[in-house]
Amino acid sequence: MKTAKQLELTLCPKCHKLNSLKAEPQQCSRCNGMFYQRKRNSLQYTLAWNFAALLAFIPANLYPIMIVYQLGIGDEATILSGIGEFIDHGLYPIAVIIFTASIIVPLLKIIGLFVLVYKVHTGIRLKPDKHSKFYHMLEVLGPWSMLDVFVVALMVTVVELGFVTSVAAGPAINYFTITVIFTMFAANSFDPRLLWDKKADNKIATQALLLSENSPGTLPEEKG
Amino acid sequence: MNNNTNTSLLVACQQCDALYDRPQLKQGQLAKCNRCGSTLIERKVDSIERSFNWSLAGLLLMLPAILLPIMGVTLAGQFHQASLFDCILVLIDRGFFMIACLVFLFAIAVPIVRLAGALYISYSFKFNKLKPSLLNFFRAYHHLDNWAMLNVFMLGIVVSMYKLIDDTELSVNLGLLAFILWLICSTMSAVALDQDYIWDKLEQAFSKDEAQDENS
Repeated sequence: MKTAKQLELTLCPKCHKLNSLKAEPQQCSRCNGMFYQRKRNSLQYTLAWNFAALLAFIPANLYPIMIVYQLGIGDEATILSGIGEFIDHGLYPIAVIIFTASIIVPLLKIIGLFVLVYKVHTGIRLKPDKHSKFYHMLEVLGPWSMLDVFVVALMVTVVELGFVTSVAAGPAINYFTITVIFTMFAANSFDPRLLWDKKADNKIATQALLLSENSPGTLPEEKG
Repeated sequence: MNNNTNTSLLVACQQCDALYDRPQLKQGQLAKCNRCGSTLIERKVDSIERSFNWSLAGLLLMLPAILLPIMGVTLAGQFHQASLFDCILVLIDRGFFMIACLVFLFAIAVPIVRLAGALYISYSFKFNKLKPSLLNFFRAYHHLDNWAMLNVFMLGIVVSMYKLIDDTELSVNLGLLAFILWLICSTMSAVALDQDYIWDKLEQAFSKDEAQDENS
């Protein structure tokens, strides 16, 4: 299967028009946007955003995310303790939804992108079809982690009954939104085409290796 | 093959860069990549009409969805209700600027801009008022693809209702209905918009760069 890169063609990421590559950055002949054949320094950017997200994820879990004041007494809850409260109250579906959205998805995204970057960099056990599906899933799941932020925002607004009950957002909410947004940036800066490029490179390299091992003494056989 | 290949006869996969001959599709058909399974080209049914109508409806529903109270609580004889707009005011009032910004951006500003953008684009196509500026406009429109989070906000409403229903008296207002309809309209207008068709038409209308390319 031929790729656009092999034929010195390049696809505009915005309007999906094929351009013949002249210079990088290339100007798209259809939408006039400037772009590169592959996302620029894709792996480095992904790694950098990923580390930042991981760092922000630590205070996001340690600090309280929501403080419920009842008759002037504050009750702090972190993300995990909030989920624990749901389980105590028997609200299992909500507990599962919140746990998925605010713990599993960010962690899965961060770890998953680390793994993808590692695989692209080293080319070890690379399965581009599966990995690109995995990447696509990460991309789609991304925004859903914002769930917790919206829930807290709504609680703060709706439960505002002065001294009787009120809800305040804790400092963790800022760190948590930073985590989510950074993982979205990280996913955006990863280029799934690198997976296929690396696989193709690997194939060529192993073929060359096989040929060079066969070559001493005898003539190399022609293999597809 | 060399650089003189006619690029308009080929199409490459966005996810894996595989190259194919451009398929001729009828309305409602879509072409998928053999290698990675992502969609190559899609020709949507009645794209312009549908996205025009959905985005118009969405813009009409915007005001009630934002201004009408979504839900209210009663506790110890006190009643308090809040709309999406109140949400932002209260958050600013109490000093949570960052969440206020985020809610405003992801649940109000981006959806509105996307709806207005879809309306403008489909309006220009519907009444044949194509301008070269549409190229830049539509390109900018794609920047917002990932950042509309009305669906997430909707789930947030559901979750916080579950939370509140336990120890308060919860009342649901007309704002919730308007918000759900707004969510449906904005999703449908984004889904109905046929990007490939729009780009093809824009290219045909303003292909001066193409001509320059062939001359050089």
